[in-house]
Amino acid sequence: MILRYDGTFAGFLSAVALARDRSVQPESITDREPDQQGLFTTIEEVATDRDRAGELYALIRSTLPPGALQTLRYAFHASDPDRGTLLFHYLMLGLATGPRFNSMLAHEAVMPVWKLARAVGREAHRYKGLVRFQQLEGDVWYAAMEPDHRILPLIAPHFAARFADQRWIIHDPRRGEAVVFDPARRKWAETFLEVTAPLPLTAGEELFRDLWQRYFDRLAIEERRNPKLQRQNLPLKHRRHLPEFDGK
Amino acid sequence: MPELTLAEKLEILADGAKYDVSCASSGSSRRNKGGIGNGAQCGICHSWTADGRCVSLLKILLTNACIYDCAYCVNRRSNDTRRVMLTPAEVAELTIGFYRRNAIEGLFLSTGVVKDPDHTMELLIEATRILREEHRFNGYIHVKVVPGADLLLVERLGRLADRVSVNMELPSRESLKLLAPDKSREAIVAPMKRVGELIVQTKEERKVSRKIPPFAPAGQSTQLIIGASGESDLQIVSLAAGLYGQLAMKRVYYSAFIPVNRDERLPAVIGTPPLVREHRLYQADWLMRYYGFAAGELLDEERPNLDLALDPKAGWALRNLHLFPVEVNRAPLELLLRVPGIGVRSAQRIVGARRGGHLSLEDLARLGVVMKRARYFITARGRFAADLAPDAAGLRARLTERTLPRPRWSQPSLFDGAGTMDLQSTITGEL
Repeated sequence: MILRYDGTFAGFLSAVALARDRSVQPESITDREPDQQGLFTTIEEVATDRDRAGELYALIRSTLPPGALQTLRYAFHASDPDRGTLLFHYLMLGLATGPRFNSMLAHEAVMPVWKLARAVGREAHRYKGLVRFQQLEGDVWYAAMEPDHRILPLIAPHFAARFADQRWIIHDPRRGEAVVFDPARRKWAETFLEVTAPLPLTAGEELFRDLWQRYFDRLAIEERRNPKLQRQNLPLKHRRHLPEFDGK
Repeated sequence: MPELTLAEKLEILADGAKYDVSCASSGSSRRNKGGIGNGAQCGICHSWTADGRCVSLLKILLTNACIYDCAYCVNRRSNDTRRVMLTPAEVAELTIGFYRRNAIEGLFLSTGVVKDPDHTMELLIEATRILREEHRFNGYIHVKVVPGADLLLVERLGRLADRVSVNMELPSRESLKLLAPDKSREAIVAPMKRVGELIVQTKEERKVSRKIPPFAPAGQSTQLIIGASGESDLQIVSLAAGLYGQLAMKRVYYSAFIPVNRDERLPAVIGTPPLVREHRLYQADWLMRYYGFAAGELLDEERPNLDLALDPKAGWALRNLHLFPVEVNRAPLELLLRVPGIGVRSAQRIVGARRGGHLSLEDLARLGVVMKRARYFITARGRFAADLAPDAAGLRARLTERTLPRPRWSQPSLFDGAGTMDLQSTITGEL
């Protein structure tokens, strides 16, 4: 049996709750399209039940040690299509184990989830530095990024604290998702966003772009030139939205 | 000469500042109090330049004009270069402009000495004050202390900045006298001592009342130039140990000497700067700060210099083979940390996971412990990981890097211990 949920965390918890209620071991828990699944499996669509999800989450919170909760949250934002299934086994083991769960890192149900969480955490940390805002007319600061994982909600609190007086948008154009921050209410929210027209950049934006590019080019020490190391630290895929690599 | 544009000035002042290797933005958790910006405890890199170094801060000089004539310095008085200066307000504006775009974590402001040390310090303090008070900027600020400035000015600066630093540059009094005749060792050490005292004292006071403003919460650092003078690694490492121990220094940076001036007092450098030596010194520095090694375990009078072909931890292990192999299920954390190839995080992971069960070699692999070097030094459930236990000479050959690595400059890792340690994971697991 395959349980299919709507991609939300509440949806995922609903699927886990359903499996627990019926004491079944689903073959997988996924949010992928049904046509990608095998021929002979039954697919059950799980309706998101916020109350059931809330109950289960309360149980998880009171049973799992804090580190495991963080791992759960980060791993859920991975783009790995198997994450639902991996997290299901992780949660079942965690709920059965309780506080001792933290010392089970070498367990086969724990390590893959821990690795997912680590990959997501690393990418989220990296993008705290790689998000680049541009000032648009109307005093809006816009940034585009294309991360591997769905890290928008994970990095939003960082930018909300740091740029609390700016109206900013961080946009993931590949997924069509964005986080929008309202400085008046000091709140951020997730939304769908598509940019179809050229961005209305301010005049100051041109100036600072030029300043930053010139500054960046001067910083490298010629005698220590090492593009291989530069690529290792900053792979090409991360450079697309960085002004210092514009046209390079 | 025609007046230069802001962009041209920025280029000149960035050029003059780039040889200062510190770019750390970690160690401050300053909160955003109704303005812009905050400190990120673990530090954040925003880009990487063509030499592979990370860009975290806007690193510029207030001015490249200088009354001193230090042999190694690109900004020395006798160099025929164009001198420019920014106003403190211009420095603040540039910082805010870059910061709002999230291009930087903050500012690293250094300067040549104009008129006299006190006057120069006043200008640095003014730039910092404008950022903190007028722009209400709570991001990271690192400011250089001018040697010879009044200690009261040093104190004022530290109340505004996250980190302050005085560069020692030359490891001994004699070298200093030869290469930087205008600076005395006393003028450098006095502000370092004062900063160290104020950091310790303020920390104590803030335990009682949080209303007392922090003093350089990200600590103080310094830089040593490697290879411009004749000191041995033993002298340099011992000096660093003293700075960490006695002056509450947060970081000592090592900078491979790059000849930017022709000067008969300087050694003739042919080819690339001593980057491998610099890299080994950073490894030794890490071993002292995070792995519990004492300077005397790494170097002594008989071996005053680090082995360029072998990382210092492997070198220590080869001299102490009688301690190995260690059983990962029983060895205390301190001993696990001394296994070549096992880094801080691997060691902690092992200690955490073995509480949940007796670890096998397969478990170690699953935990992500890099066995390439560690296998010669450990057992798991009594099983030895390597096919054989070679003698010291055989081990040395296996642990020696065939081609000397180019030192990888990754600042979050090499300099802060917070990020991923890319180089170390390839060579030693994690240093």
